[in-house]
Amino acid sequence: MKTIILKGRPAFGGIAGGEALVCPDSIAGNTGSLGETDGIIYEHGNPNRGKCIKDTILVLPCAKGSCGWSCHFKSAKINGNAPAGWVVTIIDSRIGVAIASLEKPAVCDFAEADPVKIIKTGDWVKIDGSTGIVEITPK
Amino acid sequence: MVNLTEFEQKMLNGQAGEFKQKALQFIVNYADVLGAKDLCEISRATLFIGAQHYLEGFTTDDYNEIFSKFYLNSDKPIPIGQFDESCAVQTCVAACVTRDFATVHLSKEFFDKNNNFYAITREAGASEVHTCTPYFSGWIPLPGEHFVTTESSNVLLCNSVFGACGNADGIEAAVCSAICGRTPRWGLHIKAERYGNVVFTIQCPSQTSFDWDVIGYTIGRFLPRAGKPVIAGNFKRPDIKKLRQCFSSLATSSNAEICHVVGITPEARTVDDALGGKEPAAYFAITQKDYEDTRRLVCDPGSGPVDFVSIGCPHLAIEEIRDIARYLQGKKVKQGVELWIWTTKSNQALADYNGFTKTIEESGAHLLDSSCPICMKHEAHKHAKAMVLSGIKQAKGLRAQTAATVYCGETLTCIDAAILGRWEAPA
Repeated sequence: MKTIILKGRPAFGGIAGGEALVCPDSIAGNTGSLGETDGIIYEHGNPNRGKCIKDTILVLPCAKGSCGWSCHFKSAKINGNAPAGWVVTIIDSRIGVAIASLEKPAVCDFAEADPVKIIKTGDWVKIDGSTGIVEITPK
Repeated sequence: MVNLTEFEQKMLNGQAGEFKQKALQFIVNYADVLGAKDLCEISRATLFIGAQHYLEGFTTDDYNEIFSKFYLNSDKPIPIGQFDESCAVQTCVAACVTRDFATVHLSKEFFDKNNNFYAITREAGASEVHTCTPYFSGWIPLPGEHFVTTESSNVLLCNSVFGACGNADGIEAAVCSAICGRTPRWGLHIKAERYGNVVFTIQCPSQTSFDWDVIGYTIGRFLPRAGKPVIAGNFKRPDIKKLRQCFSSLATSSNAEICHVVGITPEARTVDDALGGKEPAAYFAITQKDYEDTRRLVCDPGSGPVDFVSIGCPHLAIEEIRDIARYLQGKKVKQGVELWIWTTKSNQALADYNGFTKTIEESGAHLLDSSCPICMKHEAHKHAKAMVLSGIKQAKGLRAQTAATVYCGETLTCIDAAILGRWEAPA
């Protein structure tokens, strides 16, 4: 299968690879929407409800909901359930804190193509947080 | 890499101690993630700290260790020093009440742990205020003042109504900002980023607080990414309590951080003023159908028996407690139903003084402080079979925590449900 390349702004350095977990309407930041210790999405209406963020490349348009957004991801990391990296269409302050706090590679701010529309859950995604290059191998 | 002043560079080099060094290092990393060019000084902070549930994965109760690892990104425990002395630092909503912990089904052990954590941060300079509506107890940033807050509705209210400058920075960054007194100069800290770009014309009811709760959630449903809404149209003029509801639900369905209300908020004297003279990216009308769609999304259908009613998301103003006390005068909450009314610690003290608490308690309801069912999490509400909630944010948040039926509506409708022990679907 042909690899697709996207280019975004390098936001946090390092290289990471993993299966994509694409949340077209993001993940709510309110307490209980993401499991504090197990990293499982519990938000009603989220197409990935019941899936764990561990070792995935999280593909999100932006954040939504509580200012506490980042702390649920941080808690998941402390309990061994961190995502491997982030691909974010347009960065916002909530996601910015989470990226800084989890210290995982991240590529953000895609001007030409929206990764949320191009990447599918289960695709293999490799990101370089120092160059902004995202390589997608469809499943 | 972000540019630092000489003062900031010295702090980053450790000359103000390791506590401030680590905090500033986090803010510098955060600024680089955002792509910020420099930092700005903050003078106000509210912090969602204490024994919050995001800490439940820690096996230790050593708060120094927890604080270092969670907020400062340091595996090495660093002694907790002082928050920035020129910053008004106070606590956001808590995971436990400050009294009556048995009423809300929490343990003495958790109550004590929460108090112990707060005692440490109080020593460090964070006043215990414990609220999501800090403006009801005097925490009000002026126009142009830079703040951090961990309450999403407060981000919207301070930016939009007070004309102050802040982003939805999240807990780790807000804590670090309150320690080092700096935040990235990015987003809403820059005037050019504050203009609205999506216009919403209100064509649905806008009389009540619940109407504004629905309006906020609906705007969030339609708001495009990076959208900054401008509310226009022939709406009924809202007060601060209605905007509180609007902004709390807007921040539930979107990542909005500023929302201009034409003719009300200071950067929106006119639509043009709010847009900075530019064409908006999109126009939406919020119709009666949109209103009904949102109501169906946040409130389960039909009527039925209820056993759990919670009012006050976000925390209530003193005049709302007065109105509830008057409404409950001479009435009784149905046996087997819990009616919880949430406010700030300061307003609870005022309600005690004014006799409102006594009237409320005589009805069988409870006036509670400092927390809410979402923040207390399962332990406080796991027994509930059918819930009635006055705030859409509370309804949406609890839906992720419970299998109970969830109804949502206007405050007095919710109180009627507690008295009748039954939710009647609105006509």
